[in-house]
Amino acid sequence: MKSVVVFPERCIGCMQCMFECAVAHSQSKNFNAIYEETPPKPRIHVYSAKENYAFPSKCRHCEPAPCLEACPTSAIRREEGIVFVDVERCINCGMCAMVCPFAVVRFHIDWKRIEKLPVSYKCDGCIERVKEDEIPACVEACKVGALRYGDVNELIEEAEKRIASTYSPIFERREEVPENYKIWLELRG
Amino acid sequence: MHSIHQDALRIIKKLDDVGIELVWNRLENQEPQCGYCSLGLSCRNCTMGPCRIDPFGEGPQKGVCGADADVIVARNLARAVASGAASHSDHGRDLVEVLSKAGMVKAYTIKDEDKLKRLAEEYGIDTTKKSIVEIASELADAMLEDFGSKKERIQLINRAPRKRIEIWENLGVIPRGIDREVVEMMHRTHMGVDNEPANILLQCLRTSLGDGFGGSMIATEVSDILFGTPEPKTSTINLATLKENEVNIILHGHNPLVSDAVVEAAMREDLVKLAKKAGAEGINLAGLCCTGNEVLMRKGIPMAGNHLIQELVIGTGVADVVVVDYQCIMPAIVDVAKCYHTAVVTTSPKAKFKDAMHIEFTPENAHEKAVEVVKLAIERFKQRNRDLIKIPDVKPVELMTGFSVEAVVKALGGSLKPLIDAIKSGSIKGVVGSVGCNNPKVTQDKSHTTLARKLIENDVLVVDTGCAAVADAKVGLKMPEAAKLAGNGLREVCESLGIPPILHFGSCVDNSRILVALAALANEIGVDISDLPAAGAAMEWYSEKAIAIGTYFVASGLLVVLGVPPPIFGSKFVIDVLTNKVESLTGGKFVVEPDAERAADIIVKHIEEKRRKLGI
Ligand code: SF4
Ligand code: SF4
Ligand code: SF4
Ligand code: SF4
Repeated sequence: MKSVVVFPERCIGCMQCMFECAVAHSQSKNFNAIYEETPPKPRIHVYSAKENYAFPSKCRHCEPAPCLEACPTSAIRREEGIVFVDVERCINCGMCAMVCPFAVVRFHIDWKRIEKLPVSYKCDGCIERVKEDEIPACVEACKVGALRYGDVNELIEEAEKRIASTYSPIFERREEVPENYKIWLELRG
Repeated sequence: MHSIHQDALRIIKKLDDVGIELVWNRLENQEPQCGYCSLGLSCRNCTMGPCRIDPFGEGPQKGVCGADADVIVARNLARAVASGAASHSDHGRDLVEVLSKAGMVKAYTIKDEDKLKRLAEEYGIDTTKKSIVEIASELADAMLEDFGSKKERIQLINRAPRKRIEIWENLGVIPRGIDREVVEMMHRTHMGVDNEPANILLQCLRTSLGDGFGGSMIATEVSDILFGTPEPKTSTINLATLKENEVNIILHGHNPLVSDAVVEAAMREDLVKLAKKAGAEGINLAGLCCTGNEVLMRKGIPMAGNHLIQELVIGTGVADVVVVDYQCIMPAIVDVAKCYHTAVVTTSPKAKFKDAMHIEFTPENAHEKAVEVVKLAIERFKQRNRDLIKIPDVKPVELMTGFSVEAVVKALGGSLKPLIDAIKSGSIKGVVGSVGCNNPKVTQDKSHTTLARKLIENDVLVVDTGCAAVADAKVGLKMPEAAKLAGNGLREVCESLGIPPILHFGSCVDNSRILVALAALANEIGVDISDLPAAGAAMEWYSEKAIAIGTYFVASGLLVVLGVPPPIFGSKFVIDVLTNKVESLTGGKFVVEPDAERAADIIVKHIEEKRRKLGI
């Protein structure tokens, strides 16, 4: 099964994923999005982790998914592994947000809903794009490989190999980041 | 599709097949491009930042310093205008420096003495009893003052109609010195200086006018003095102007200082002989971009193509040397050249390219260095790899060029009156300057040529420069025969004068010729530039220089259609000023319209409106 896999150690905090996520969920699907009556919001957010490292955070599409189970109106459903919100059924009760262990559920007005009331607003795995054989918008935006789309186990294997190759026999971590970037990271403190 | 032209498409395919990376591949690798930057919402002006404003309203709405979207967008635009104006103006200054030495160095003399004297008089220099060399040196000194900070206004701004100058005076946007406005713009956009977006935009107008009526205009005028004022002539264009059996030298960049010297050298008999000894039938020259326009306008040197052709020209396998000066030269050409025998030669101390060969030209040594470049091309000719040669099997397209304002007036029989009569009678509805670059985000030359065709169909006379001019020429619109594609009125005028419906005004600094022509027209009729049935368009623009050009057109009272959205859409305020409010100040404004058909409709409607107001 294909899915978005996050490698936070590669994130440089550019926030392009946020931008493109919002645009991908707009009506115009381009930069005119910011002038729409109900401008879209990102469904992925980038925050500072410890030591100012960037940390991209989005719905993990859990299985079983606490949000889905907590939702009293069955507004949250799953299709092909993607946990998403049916905006017409959401009653804005906040149960999903309360039970989400990763705090990635927000409430915003979604242009797709007829009544202009806030609804549960979270990553929908770019379900529409994926149906059209496109990769999720955030993955397309991320130029450093912090967000990848593909078969979970294959991507994890790739990462496993990458991590393995960075360890010397005495378990001293050999940095995989380019020298200049490493120096910057150190200086930045 | 990457281009509308067969020659381009064939070389793209050829290079694609062997895996050579081109501009379109690199664009794809960059996509999606940064949304913050595309909207103008990122700021790198200090190290409290970098900062970006979240246009969706959730994240930060202010930079660390407190600058909001309006300030950040205005500042970013301002820096682009400053860079564009600086580029044209530095090019102009290089010419002025040569002017001061003309006649005393081998490569450069005064070719148009009349124009030299006219300009000198305009600058208040007494030309009686002085030698040409003396006048040139005095004019150069006077022009250099225009670059400095001692004056209250640059000299050539006085070419604008009286009413226009009053408007600028009231807005406080008369440029005092070409460099001064650029420097002040850099100062104002430093953190904590000008934080009033409207005030920043006004300085954009002033800086751009220092380009249009300053740096660019000086560049054009001094080029005419040094290399001759262009006169109508014919030539050819496209990649088939390269010749398999000859040594090919590609002239790329902007300033005629280098290209003209190379043209002179390539015509020397001893060097032609040397080429023949090397097995070539002769030495062939072909231009690219604006320096190509310069030598095309004055010497009829064939044109290989415009901006997006620069990598492809090397892909023919017969480009022996690409000699460049500065501006719009993609660093990528050095990489493409590595796959061939081609030598990329840089010539300016301020524009060196990693891994390219550097042969530095100075006013004093240009003559010898040009010979060196030609000799290098002959050497490289011998090293061609036969297997890699493929000149697209198309026919070079004929074109007519050389329409300086002086040449137009001459073609009209000595005054602008016949043109004014044609405009008044409605045979010519209006005049549009189609200018600017190529951009890989637009199918190459599609928008330029669609716009031009549609405008002439509507009896609008088109004058074009830069890459837009190359585009129009390449589809045959620059031959007198193209008049049959024009509306009846324009067609008759063109046929009676034997001119094409699209007049080649030159390179990008030659957009100043458009200003001169419009100012003269307005003065002759007794109105302001903004009253004229005229407009500008930059349908495929990419560069900061194009922003400066568009801005001085708007400052001069013209409607300017941009085919590629500039990075200003992050600020509703800035958009509102540039596409709406500025009209009440200068009479001009920007319109962003990527669809060329619709852009033409907008322009035609604007022209009709202006005609109605003039009562014609
Ligand atoms: S919203 Fe939270 S609980 Fe629901 S699937 Fe996503 S991460 Fe899991
Ligand atoms: S997968 Fe789609 S919806 Fe989810 S964070 Fe990425 S772009 Fe947003
Ligand atoms: S696009 Fe990639 S690198 Fe940039 S913030 Fe998002 S996850 Fe991080
Ligand atoms: S000038 Fe202001 S907005 Fe720009 S980087 Fe500095 S703090 Fe950020």
